[in-house]
Amino acid sequence: MSSQGEYGGLTRRTMLKASGVAAGAAAVGGCLSMFDQEDPPVASIQDAEIAYGNCWMCCHDCSQKAYVNDGTVVDITGVDGNPRGSAGPGTEGTLCPKGLNQLDKTHDPDRIKQPYIREDGELREASWEEAFEYTAERLEAFDEEHGAETFLDAGSWAETPIFRHIWRDLYGTPERIGRGVHVCAGPTFVAGGMMGVGSNNRMPDYQNSEYLIMWGRNPFSSFAGQFEPKGILEAVEKNGATLVTIDPQHTQTVQKSDTWLPIKPRTDGALALAMGQVIIEEELYDEEFVEEWTYGFDAYREAVDGKTPEWAAEITGLDPDDIREVAIGFAEAAPQAGISIWTGTAQVGNGWKAAQNITALNGLVGNVDRPGGLRMWQSASPADPFEVQGIDLPNNAEGKEPALRKYEEYEEYPVRHVETIAHNLVPEMVENGHINGIYCHHDMPLKDGNAQGWLEAIEEMELVIAVDAYWNGITRNADVVFADATQLEKDTIGYGSWNSYSQHTWITGGKAAVEPQYDTKPDFDILVGIAEAMGWGEYFPWEDHEAFIDDQLSAFDLSLEELSSGDRNYELIDEYPYEQWKDGDGPAFRFDLDQVPPFVAAAEETGMDTAPEWVPPGTYGDELSEEYPLEFYDTRAVYFSHGSDQALDRLTEKYAERHDLEDREYRGNYLVINPRDAEPRGIETGEMVTVESETGAGELMAYVSERTQPGFVTTVYGYGEGSLRPDDEGMNSMKVHDTQMDPITGQPDRHVAVDVHGGDG
Amino acid sequence: MGEQWMFYFDPNRCIGCDACSIACKQRHDRDATADDWRTVSHLKRGEYPDFEDVPISMSCMHCHDAPCEEVCPPDAILKRDEDGIVTVDRDRCIGCHYCAWACPYGAPTYGDDGLMSKCNMCLGEGPGGGHGQPPKQKAEDGGAKPSCVDNCVGEAIKAGPQSEVMDEASEAAARRFENGAYGSRVIVEPIAEDAEAAEAIRSGEDDRADAWLNG
Repeated sequence: MSSQGEYGGLTRRTMLKASGVAAGAAAVGGCLSMFDQEDPPVASIQDAEIAYGNCWMCCHDCSQKAYVNDGTVVDITGVDGNPRGSAGPGTEGTLCPKGLNQLDKTHDPDRIKQPYIREDGELREASWEEAFEYTAERLEAFDEEHGAETFLDAGSWAETPIFRHIWRDLYGTPERIGRGVHVCAGPTFVAGGMMGVGSNNRMPDYQNSEYLIMWGRNPFSSFAGQFEPKGILEAVEKNGATLVTIDPQHTQTVQKSDTWLPIKPRTDGALALAMGQVIIEEELYDEEFVEEWTYGFDAYREAVDGKTPEWAAEITGLDPDDIREVAIGFAEAAPQAGISIWTGTAQVGNGWKAAQNITALNGLVGNVDRPGGLRMWQSASPADPFEVQGIDLPNNAEGKEPALRKYEEYEEYPVRHVETIAHNLVPEMVENGHINGIYCHHDMPLKDGNAQGWLEAIEEMELVIAVDAYWNGITRNADVVFADATQLEKDTIGYGSWNSYSQHTWITGGKAAVEPQYDTKPDFDILVGIAEAMGWGEYFPWEDHEAFIDDQLSAFDLSLEELSSGDRNYELIDEYPYEQWKDGDGPAFRFDLDQVPPFVAAAEETGMDTAPEWVPPGTYGDELSEEYPLEFYDTRAVYFSHGSDQALDRLTEKYAERHDLEDREYRGNYLVINPRDAEPRGIETGEMVTVESETGAGELMAYVSERTQPGFVTTVYGYGEGSLRPDDEGMNSMKVHDTQMDPITGQPDRHVAVDVHGGDG
Repeated sequence: MGEQWMFYFDPNRCIGCDACSIACKQRHDRDATADDWRTVSHLKRGEYPDFEDVPISMSCMHCHDAPCEEVCPPDAILKRDEDGIVTVDRDRCIGCHYCAWACPYGAPTYGDDGLMSKCNMCLGEGPGGGHGQPPKQKAEDGGAKPSCVDNCVGEAIKAGPQSEVMDEASEAAARRFENGAYGSRVIVEPIAEDAEAAEAIRSGEDDRADAWLNG
């Protein structure tokens, strides 16, 4: 595969060793080559130096330990006891398959190796100085011609916060798109926030739980740090916790669950109401918490009235006894009972009500911020380096309104009351001339809804600045491409919230394990380079990223050197109690959102109630039809994250092996289709098939399997047109998608009505 | 004679993520497309929603009776007295594949050079890297923890001298091992699922996985 091309079949470490041997041999006789060496010994990890850092393959900061030999990373593993990559004190810290592959990524000859700028319509290699100067010229011209406020900041996965200061505060654009709220799980985040629990409805207090419901989640394959699967295994083994999974597809989490509710897609909101109905009817709810700490219970009680398990069974396809059993099991275990939701219940047109109805169950049983329930996670608070240095940043975006709220063209979209941008609408904004440029940092928006619109929009935009490690639909179409270093080549710091220590905030970090390979630079240096070329150098006095991080760490009387020396690279910071809502003024939890003005405005326009309610599939989004009878949805695999790992051979090989298709040359994604749908269409595993919706189509290889529900077809996203697969291999799953979305948050609704054609039958 | 080292596997903690398999290849600097020394196979059975998919991580088990050693014509395979680890001397290997036929686990792999390579419990690094190495040391004594063990996300794989692995195993797993399950070659935790599902899996169609689960 790709690494064989330049290494002549030798791998990284044999290359390292053999090239030394060959150089020595050449000095002696000049006739030996490295290919004469049979079985050259590999560079041993025993002699290697150790460098600590944070894994950023899925951006969740599992601590890592790299073994470095002569400037090459020869092995990599986790750090025991670390907050995100272990199950807590005294447990093994590891890296998942993605994390392990940082090693290959760092030394991958197919990486973007130096900056590029567009000249006469073509990208050409450029020096860093040239690229920075060119960027500054283009940004200044863009501001004059189109206005800085029409430049979109999509810097989601930067490993430094300074991109926000550059684009918002200095360049002066109010336009910003993130991955979390805007394309990952808008309803989960925003409904959680409005109901009073933030986005903590994603992450229960695993270690202390006795009953865990993974609702539209598969944390054994798609986790936000390995502490998730590890924490669940601990809860099951040590607490005897009951594990329930609610998912239309069979997953590894389902395999390990005590109960699987194989729900019909997009009916989660109905199931949640029925569970609430049972819990109230059985008087299993936390009356004291509901009475004293919540708002809007009467509206909720009314919403669930009559929504019996039998009512929900008709909608969800589940057995009413199973619904009753899970509702009672959850309520009886509460408060040591938690629900986790994230993307599965959010990437649907009726996802807002799914999130609201499911999150309501937490308030009902009073598990909010109690051990084993829905934890109100806190983060450590590093210092603001700008404050430490006494730097007063201007706010050049002040008074500028985002286009979504500014122009009448978007008045029909209720999302404008709640959010400042919607992913699916960006192509329309480009067409209207309201967005004319983008800064894209590993963001890969081409995989995330309205793909055809986005592919055209990127070509249409006047200025595209890309920071990335691989060639993809963004970098290939950019005007400037900055070659980003991998996290093994960067200084890193992480201090998120949820983790395996239920009562502690934490930080983890480390220094670059190796120098940036090829002619790449860490994103901090790239952003400072842009700032200096723009004449904003005075705002960035730090010598390097380590100095910036040291200012952040000054809040904890630590330096990066101290944090990452010794035998680990993480520290626990503050201890914080449960039931933090007792210190608050208002209600800890809201069932009804009638006091939240942005939502009230959006709900009015969509015709939604402010309290939980049942909204059937198709109310917003696709309805299945005779022409398009199958429900299509894109998913994740343990091997990939955010569409940026599909260039790595070890991962694509494993994905192929997982489907028993490794002997085929094809390394694209697979369409998982149930035999009951495949047979009438004459489709067999290994055949290329076409997925077609009303608005688009794509081709990929079929994998016929009982693991998916009849009528429900899925594939892994991050492939096909615009992806970083060579020759766009596979299918861009969002090519069949248009602008279907949750009307409240603008979250793309990734459930699309399709049919599948092809095969030999 | 030293104590036999063994692998331990708990299917209840294996999440099928392939970290073991990838970590193995990286530790031993093997190409992405080379055959795996440690594989994760999936035993699948049943119709939706009565569907099962049990991931099973396998490698060379360094068998006490090492059938591969018995059949190797040039005596390239050695069952070491000092730690029980089965190594291969690639200078002696003739690439005849007899070992592959004899192995109950499909552990031997063959590269473009035709020579056999397989797991050496990270005694050494790379193909043939275990040959001639000093006795295996535990991690606390400075030895390299097998990469699959070190990187198992679910802590489903363990390795060590037999008595120590037995101490960490559940009583049920230890009893089964003593009664000769899996030819007493590896210690495996019983699958914690209902009897019907376990029976369904036991009668599955995947031969290698079936052999595993039947012991």
